Amino acid sequence: MRYVRMTFRIVTVILLGSLLHYVLPQHDIARVTSTEVIRTDFSGFNRWFYAQADSGNTELSTRDLRLINTDRQKTFLLGFIPRDATGVMVYRNEDSGWIWPPYFKFDSSDLQAEAASLVSTAAEPQWVVVTHYGWRNRFFSIYPNAVGIRPVEGPDVRVIPWFNISFFIFLIVAWLFLRAAWAQFRERSLDPMMDKASHQMDEVNAGLSERRSRLRRWLDTWRRK
Amino acid sequence: MGLVKLVVFGFLFLSVIYLSISVYSRSVRREKLEKQWDADNPGGEQADRDTYVEQGMAKYESGFRKKLIVLVYIVPTVAIVAILYLTNAN
Repeated sequence: MRYVRMTFRIVTVILLGSLLHYVLPQHDIARVTSTEVIRTDFSGFNRWFYAQADSGNTELSTRDLRLINTDRQKTFLLGFIPRDATGVMVYRNEDSGWIWPPYFKFDSSDLQAEAASLVSTAAEPQWVVVTHYGWRNRFFSIYPNAVGIRPVEGPDVRVIPWFNISFFIFLIVAWLFLRAAWAQFRERSLDPMMDKASHQMDEVNAGLSERRSRLRRWLDTWRRK
Repeated sequence: MGLVKLVVFGFLFLSVIYLSISVYSRSVRREKLEKQWDADNPGGEQADRDTYVEQGMAKYESGFRKKLIVLVYIVPTVAIVAILYLTNAN
């Protein structure tokens, strides 16, 4: 039983962790090398990792996908430790729309134009911070979705993830509230109800045994003395 | 329509939160009043205690603290508008 519970907990933590890792914004320091549009035919599986068509358009099973090709500064540990190496990274650039994930992004075309105006060469690099969510996976052909691009001085800028900090603070506060609310509900509503119920059970049981003993006494009167 | 879906389901979701916070807040208030009475009048009349608590609750129902719970609707709306602006403004 302990192992079942532990496995359940670990699986929950992994699922929640990957959901947050997928959805929360991350910042990459990169150099835009080009932008392009490719026609994309989604499979049933990798459709999960794409948003929908531009918000004013209709949804078809195949459509064009905006991509931003970059050379990105590599990092360790979710971007906390910078590394002295670069590698290519490709971002998709799609409207996330009104529902999920809640970035409310409708300016994909504008973002594509911004990215195109920031294209630079290795000899004369123009570094940018790409805010994005999502994962890159070559086997499933999925890309992180770029949400914003802004030019920065050099590749060594320190980006403080204010949104993520406040999000996790909010998460902790919400968790504490839920716990307090549950404790209050138990103390004020559940426990008195249970007490009442168990009291009633006691009374019923007492009544039953009383009746049984009467029956026993009556039976005893038939026994031979 | 995405916006309609967001408004409808967002409203339902926030209403659930609103109701649970109201219930919680009311319960905490009542407990506080009861404890206050018990501390001030040890061995007091049960009837007096009930009136005291009911009066306190009536005050709470018309008070400012209860109205603060409406922030449950306001804060997410403001946040969505802010994100909408920050993401899409050039």
